[in-house]
Amino acid sequence: MSGFTLKARAPAPLRLDLRGITPVALATLSAAEVERLEIGHGNALVPLAEFFQVESRSDDTLLLAGDLSRGDRIGWQMDGGTLIVDGAAGDYVGAGLRAGEITVKGDAGALAACEMAGGTLRISGSVGDFAASTLPGSMDGMRGGTLIVGGNAGARFGDRMRRGSALVFGDVGDFLASRMVAGTIALAGRAGAHAGYGMRRGSVVFAGPAPGVSPTFVPAVAGAPVFWQLLARDLAPHGGLFATLASRGIDRQLGDVAAGGKGELILVR
Amino acid sequence: MNRNGVVIDETFAEAFPMKATRLVITAHNIEWARHAAVAATGFATSVIACGCEAGIEREIPPGETPDGRPGIAVLIFSMSGKELAKQIERRVGQCVLTCPTTAVYAGIDEGEAVALGKNLRFFGDGWQISKMIAGKRYWRVPVMDGEFVAQETTAVVKGVGGGNLLLLARDTDAALAAAEAAVAAMKKLPNVIMPFPGGVVRSGSKVGSKYPALGASTNDAFCPTLVGLVPKTELTSETRCVMEIVIDGLTEADVGAAMRVGMEAGIALGAAGGLLRISAGNYGGKLGPFHFHLHKLMAGSAA
Repeated sequence: MSGFTLKARAPAPLRLDLRGITPVALATLSAAEVERLEIGHGNALVPLAEFFQVESRSDDTLLLAGDLSRGDRIGWQMDGGTLIVDGAAGDYVGAGLRAGEITVKGDAGALAACEMAGGTLRISGSVGDFAASTLPGSMDGMRGGTLIVGGNAGARFGDRMRRGSALVFGDVGDFLASRMVAGTIALAGRAGAHAGYGMRRGSVVFAGPAPGVSPTFVPAVAGAPVFWQLLARDLAPHGGLFATLASRGIDRQLGDVAAGGKGELILVR
Repeated sequence: MNRNGVVIDETFAEAFPMKATRLVITAHNIEWARHAAVAATGFATSVIACGCEAGIEREIPPGETPDGRPGIAVLIFSMSGKELAKQIERRVGQCVLTCPTTAVYAGIDEGEAVALGKNLRFFGDGWQISKMIAGKRYWRVPVMDGEFVAQETTAVVKGVGGGNLLLLARDTDAALAAAEAAVAAMKKLPNVIMPFPGGVVRSGSKVGSKYPALGASTNDAFCPTLVGLVPKTELTSETRCVMEIVIDGLTEADVGAAMRVGMEAGIALGAAGGLLRISAGNYGGKLGPFHFHLHKLMAGSAA
């Protein structure tokens, strides 16, 4: 297996569709073959070499360098290997990710990690709306793996999320964890309005400021210290505000009872 | 072989394969963890009629348990994976789920998974909640003191059951002293349990009986009561009391190590303490594939 560095020559005039450009797919190809791979540009298919300079690497990593803020579907349904984006990424980065590791060193667009099912996606910068959520028309959002956002996230983060862990070190927009089915979201910054709107199950941890809690949530009377220790210890390795969670107490709000929900907003004291 | 006046018989203990698992029971404090562990491992001395052999392996300090609370590790052994699964479900359901503040986790990761909280979750009547944390599924079942947290499955591994020592002593006091010392030494080792009351069994058995319905009956060759009456006895007239220690362990090496430290503890008491001989129970080598030769075990001993 051999890796490649794909250097973006210049910002593309139209959106690029980079699905299929994954470490596993490229592993058995020569640099010349990689150059001939077709990628989407607007509504046309063009050879990859038209926008990227291809270089072989000594390791197995696939590195995308340059400004790829118009590069969509990076790591689409990727199922193994290591992919690094040295800069910004477009929409749908890590969507449908099944295994492997994707690192984005800049910001990412909308729908990052949507329907992600496994593996790890780290985004150093901020993400747009609908991260860790569902593709339009689909029932389940993120369903496994770990998403880590170093910056802020937009609205509808974790919409219809079903499983896995999603962490945000910055702030998130409105409707955090809307219609959440299950899974874990942990937030270090502030949340916008309507957190947990229509959530059915799942846990949303507010390690930083407490959010406004909708009247369709009820305060938990009993504690959940055992579960909290298990969860807090799992989040601790991510560092930052999450590192000390296990030694801090919690209040829980249960709901969304307007949707018959049994989810919980965990407000760390 | 004679050590400190104690004769070590040239014989072997015969052990057989079992299926085993370890459960870690935690609670608000060690007392309640122990209550649950004692109840869950109760009536589990012998697979002959208990369904499993179980015991407390060790106490686990708060820093080493998954939830940071004091815990107790128990080992459960059974003759088949199916029977073991049944015993786990019944014992955890009736003795751990019911015990105030407890939680239960798998104590072994590698092996075939069997249900732990997987079926007990239905006690939650629809209010139970599953959580995946670090790749493991847990169930949170609402109960009157808050939540019962149980890992979904525990792993079943191959174990070794039926390792044993026979301690032949001058009288009851000496036999008990030797047995207690041996059990205390064995309890310091990991991966083994001594399932009988206090770790000691006084009704050692042989295979079969004059009654066709019985699979096991008194080990008459080692009964001081029957010296002179039975056609073949292993005892001499100065041996008035015999105790047996049965050891179940996760591996052959674990059982062997426990037998060795048990023998060393008995030898330390010596003939002066009233221990005359150490022997072991076997079935002529036909029953089990694991043979623990006492002389070979002592060859690796410093005593």
